[in-house]
Formats: sequence, C-alpha cells, structure tokens
Amino acid sequence: MTSIAIGRLLRANTSGCVIGCQVSPQEAPAFGQMVRIPLEDGSQVFGLVHEIHIDDDGLVRQLAGSTNLSEEIIEDNRRNRNMPVEMSVAFIGWQSGITLSQTRPPRPPLSLDKIYPCSDDEVAAFCAGGRFSYLRMLLRNEELPAADLLAAHLLQVRAAGGADLENALHEMIALLKDDYPQLMDLLSAVSEVVE
Amino acid sequence: MTNNDMNLIPEGKPIGYVVGGGLKDNLSVRLTVPAEQVQEGGFVVLESGNWQFYGLVTDLQLGASDPRYAEMPTAGRLSPTVARLLKEQTLYTNLEVLPALMLERGPEPGAPDYEAWTRAHQNENAPRPLPIKTVPSHHALARLASAGDVAEIFGTPDEKGYFEIGRTREQDHPVCINLDKFVQRSSGIFGATGSGKSFLTRIILAGLIKHNAASVLVFDMHNEYGFDDTASDTGQAVVGLRSKFPSRVRVVGLGRKSTIRGKTPDLTLELHDSDIQPEDIELLARELNLRETTSTTLDALVHSFGAVKWFHEFRQMSIGAMVEGDDGKKSPAPGSVAFWANENGVNVAAAEGLRSKLTRVFNRPYLLQEDTSADPLKEVIEALRAGQHVILSFGDYESDLDYLLVSNLLTRRIREAWEESTNEFRAHGKAEPRPLVIAVEEAHKLLNREMAAQTSFSTIARELRKYYVTLLIIDQRPSQIYDEVMSQLGTRVSGWLGDENDIAAVLSGLAGRDALRGMLARLQPKEEVLLLGWGVPMPILVRSRRYDQKFWDDLMPRNSRSVEQSIKDLGF
Repeated sequence: MTSIAIGRLLRANTSGCVIGCQVSPQEAPAFGQMVRIPLEDGSQVFGLVHEIHIDDDGLVRQLAGSTNLSEEIIEDNRRNRNMPVEMSVAFIGWQSGITLSQTRPPRPPLSLDKIYPCSDDEVAAFCAGGRFSYLRMLLRNEELPAADLLAAHLLQVRAAGGADLENALHEMIALLKDDYPQLMDLLSAVSEVVE
Repeated sequence: MTNNDMNLIPEGKPIGYVVGGGLKDNLSVRLTVPAEQVQEGGFVVLESGNWQFYGLVTDLQLGASDPRYAEMPTAGRLSPTVARLLKEQTLYTNLEVLPALMLERGPEPGAPDYEAWTRAHQNENAPRPLPIKTVPSHHALARLASAGDVAEIFGTPDEKGYFEIGRTREQDHPVCINLDKFVQRSSGIFGATGSGKSFLTRIILAGLIKHNAASVLVFDMHNEYGFDDTASDTGQAVVGLRSKFPSRVRVVGLGRKSTIRGKTPDLTLELHDSDIQPEDIELLARELNLRETTSTTLDALVHSFGAVKWFHEFRQMSIGAMVEGDDGKKSPAPGSVAFWANENGVNVAAAEGLRSKLTRVFNRPYLLQEDTSADPLKEVIEALRAGQHVILSFGDYESDLDYLLVSNLLTRRIREAWEESTNEFRAHGKAEPRPLVIAVEEAHKLLNREMAAQTSFSTIARELRKYYVTLLIIDQRPSQIYDEVMSQLGTRVSGWLGDENDIAAVLSGLAGRDALRGMLARLQPKEEVLLLGWGVPMPILVRSRRYDQKFWDDLMPRNSRSVEQSIKDLGF
C-alpha cells in the first residue's frame, strides 16, 4: 500500500466510478489497468480503467486556436488545467480482511477517496487460483469495450504472473459461446496477448 | 487405427459424461477425449449412483454450440492457444450409447450403509446384470469397459462352459460365450462371402467339441471342416477338426469310393430307397422344378405301396410302355407309370412328369436300390448319441440336389430319434438325451420361405429345442431365411453384411436394432463380428479369434493335458 495515489474519486455507484487526476505520462494509469480504492472501514474496491476522458475548457480552446504556442505554455496548460483528466473505472471485486470477492462491492467508495494503481503482486493475488469469475461483470456490461479492455487487462495479468491465462480464456468462452460475433471479436483481440 | 492407439486411454479413465438421451433414443455422452480414441461398437460403462450401466457405442456425432464455430476455421485468425481453447469448448463429439444392462454396485466401501447392503446382497442375492430399466443421471461418467467389466458380463475363459470367441476391439479384453447356453437354442453365423464365416464356425465348433457341451453334426457342403484344408484366400494350411480330435470326430463321406481331400473318411454314407419319404421329394420342388400335383401323386404312391416301398416301386416303373389288347387298342403296359396312374385315379401326365423329373434322384450313386444289412444312417445317429461328433462331407457331390436331399433326410431321422429319446426320458426316466447341434451351411437353401414349412430344419429351429436338438445356421444371405426361423435364433454372430435386407434379417426381433444396423454395415470385412441375441447378455462387437496354431495351443495346451484326457483322446 505504499504506491502513490493517481487521483481522487469524482462520482461512483456500485458498478463503477469516475476519478479525476492530473496529466502525467509516468503516473497516469493506462487503459485496462487494475486499480484499487481503499475505503475507510479497511476494505478496498478493485476495478479496471475502461475509459480515459480529457475534457476541454475555455483556455484550451483559445490556445488551440492561437499560433506560435511555446512549449512552456503547452506544458503549463497540461499541468495546471482546470478540468482534470477523467477516468472511468468498472468495479471487478472487493476485499475485506482476508476475504477477496470477485463480485460488486457492497457499497461504493465515497467522493474524493484516493485511487491507487495495483501492483503486480496485487494483480496476481486477485487472480490467484485461476479465478476469473469477475469477467462476467465486464462481458455482460454492453457499455464497456469488452474486447479491447480484456486484451489490455490480460496483458497486465500476464506481466504480473501467477495466473494461468487459459483459465481466463475458458471463462470468456464459457460466458460468450452463445454469442458468436462478440466472442470472436473478443478472441481476436485477446489473441494478441495469448499466443 | 492400431490397437496401441486405443490403449492410450488408461483403464478406468472417464471418456465423457451423460448429457441426455433415454431408453428409446439411446443415451448421449459428451466425449472428453479425442474422438479417434473411441470407435463405434465400443463397450462402455456408465457409473451413476449405486448403479453401473453397460452399453454399446452405436454412433459418434460431431456437434458445435453454434454451427458457425464448425463452419469457420479459426486457424490464422486466432492465436494457436486461443484457437485450441475455443475448439475445445465449442466443438465436441457426442457418443450415442445403446444402454443394455444395469448392475447394482451398492454404496462405496466405508459409506454408512455399505455394511448393511453387503450383508443383504450375499450369495444368491448377489447383484446380477439386469436388462436396462432406467437411465443414468445427467453427467454420469462414462468409461471404456475394463477387463473386470467384460468378465462380469461375459464371463471368463477360466470358467467352466465359457469359451473365448474374441476380444473387445478397444481394450483387447476377452469376450466369452456360454456354450451351455449357446446350445440351448438355435443360433446363426452370418456374414458376406469372405468375411470369415467358415473360420468362425471352426472356432465355435472346436469350442463345442472341446467343452463337450453337445454332439455336433456338420453338413460340410464344401469339405472344409473334417480334414486339413488350404485357405482359399491366403493359401495357408487350415487344420481340420478331425486332425485335432481324432477320437471324437468322425468324418462321414457321402457315397461309396468317396474321398475327402484325398483321404478316406471314417464311414461311408449310402442311402436306400426305403429311406426316402415324400417330404424329402417335396423339399426338392424348386430344384427339380416339380409341379403342384406332386403332393397328390406322392400321396397316391404311398397309399399304393406303403411308406417303405413307394420310392423303390416308382423307380421300377417305366414311362411310355404300351401293350396292344385283343381289340387292337393300345393301353399302358403293366409296370408303367401310366398303368399305375390309371389304376389309382392319378393324372397320368402328372405321374409321368414326376417320374421323369425324379430320374435325377434315382441316378444318385449313393442312393442304393437294394436294401443291405448296413445302415449307415443309424450308425451316424448312434455315434452322435454316444457323444461323438460327425462331419458329413459331401465329397464330389456338391450339387444343391445332393445337399438338400441328404441333409434333410438325415435331419429327419435325427429328429425322430431325439424325439423318441426325449419322450423316453420324460415318460420313463431313461437317460437324458445328449444335446445335439446341427451345423448347416448355405442354410437359405433349406430354410427359405418356400421350403421352411417342409423341412425338418424349420421344425428344429422352432420346436426341437425341447428335444435337445438345435441348429447352427451358417449363411451369407440371412434375408433369404424364413422370418419365423430367424426369429427363433438365440445367439447370432454376424460379420460384415452389405445388403440392407440381410442386415435387417440378422437384427430381426432384437431391441435396439435401429442403432445396431449401421454398425453391421461398417464392420471390418474380416475378423470383426457382432454378437447378438438371447445367448449373449448384451450386443457386443468383438475382434474374433484367429483360427491358427495359437488358437489350438490356447484351446489344448500340450503341457496341461492330463493322462485321463490323453487316454480319452485315444478312444479308450
């Protein structure tokens, strides 16, 4: 739990949340990355970043239309902008004490709760024993870009080690085998990760 | 596929699980091993609760959870691992299993009710395989039958009366038939030409002779079974039954001077005119192209001359002889057929026609006019009664006429003898008749629809079971055999059959025949046979034994022969 917070929670419900953060290429979580949100009672909620949104404001519009923009001005606007970068997170599980559940959290985190990126150990622990039942929450949610999201997520799982990706594929195929177009779409994307 | 490939599945390893089906539609088992490791005809065991179910694989069907998975190959589109996993989960093979038997196996050892169940199922209450009455539950595991399973159902070669006829194709476990049961009802060996019927028949006959379950009479139309022979297809030497059982098998040759494969038979069979009865002639209706008036004429002959002399007297009659009367008018001469016909109110043309057509019979060299003291027919019957086995070789008389006439006549005499013995046994407590098996080749010639009612064979097939006589029918055209006879066959052993009607005939009257039909058509042309019917607990496909030196070594191991056996073989 020593990692650095990447942002704070803007809004949430039990299926996901939106966080705001500054633009920083080194610290900003990537699409599909697994994050965690510690709660006051000691539990924590896990989720995947599925949307990164950079809104404009009046100043950006003016700058975009001007000529001869110096590097300093661009850098200043990015670091000290009024509108934070918004990231949407889909919840995939929660932990309370030694109990790790791959279901929706009992209650959503609160606004301005800090969000942390998951370390490799935390990713490996979450998928320990080849448990990938949380995939159903991602595959049943039609608003999520499931194929790309899972490809990115499995890339992180693979890098974290400790989990057999074949179990994840089994779960995906079992969940989607009655939906040929979506499954083939998903597997095409995942094929880049699982050779 | 070789046998070694089959052995890739370790004994007891599940090959799938039940996903549906029923008693009428057979069971559906989802295969969890590669389809090429299981074949049609495989003997499978399904374990469900306290019961074991035994069945036969009758079909393998490819399936897909969505047809598009099967239609669109994924190689190239997906990575190898993903493609493999997708294939494993969306494409599958279902086995169609014909359930045949069920056996209560009781609770697992250590279960609370195990002790009580074991106590209640001892000795005569021990669980026995029962005809299928219910189905295993969903997801019941299926596995290929182990040696123990096969032994549980079909017995083992070590048990008395059990004879190994072949081995299961997948796991190479011995499959036995119960010879005591085999001889209780008529049976049949079928298969297209070249499918190994004769070899299979030799194997079964050797088993019967060795086991001594019954006397055997073989109508050896092609001189194959008695003395050593040469296989027509391989050119290899084939050991005759007489060579292996010299003291127990007698080769009988038809006709004086007959030699079989250059050897002299033990006994020569000649018939006398007095042996011929009207039904023997009626049986030849098709062969001799007899007319519908034949029965009337034969009746009149028997009425005129009696059952013993009619044939001889008819033989002596001439055709066309005339005498001129005092008035100058010509009339049939005494001793002519026409004279006899006029005297007895028989149509002259019909009688003369019959006499003319019977010339072929009169001219048979083994049919003697004069009565001699020797009665080889009786000698044959006495040998059979005494526990010997007779192979009647037709020698040079290989025509259908010879076969039909002699086999029917001899069988009729046997039928009379065994009926009499059985009645003596039942009424007066005399010795129980020895069971007799009559092996008939080209059976459709004797048991076709037209002739079945007239021959002794059909009576034996239908009724003589109670009189200790049964048939072993060997034929390549079972569809030509009368339905009523086919339906009486207890054990049916069938090699490959190509004709749809023949397949239907072999399966007539059996449960699950629709499922077994395709299996018969797809048997290997040689050495694969399907065992069916009352004589076997359940249908099973086996690789039949080879009739070779190893067979004889197994059947009669040299070292284990007892002194008593050796003395017996020498005829003492």
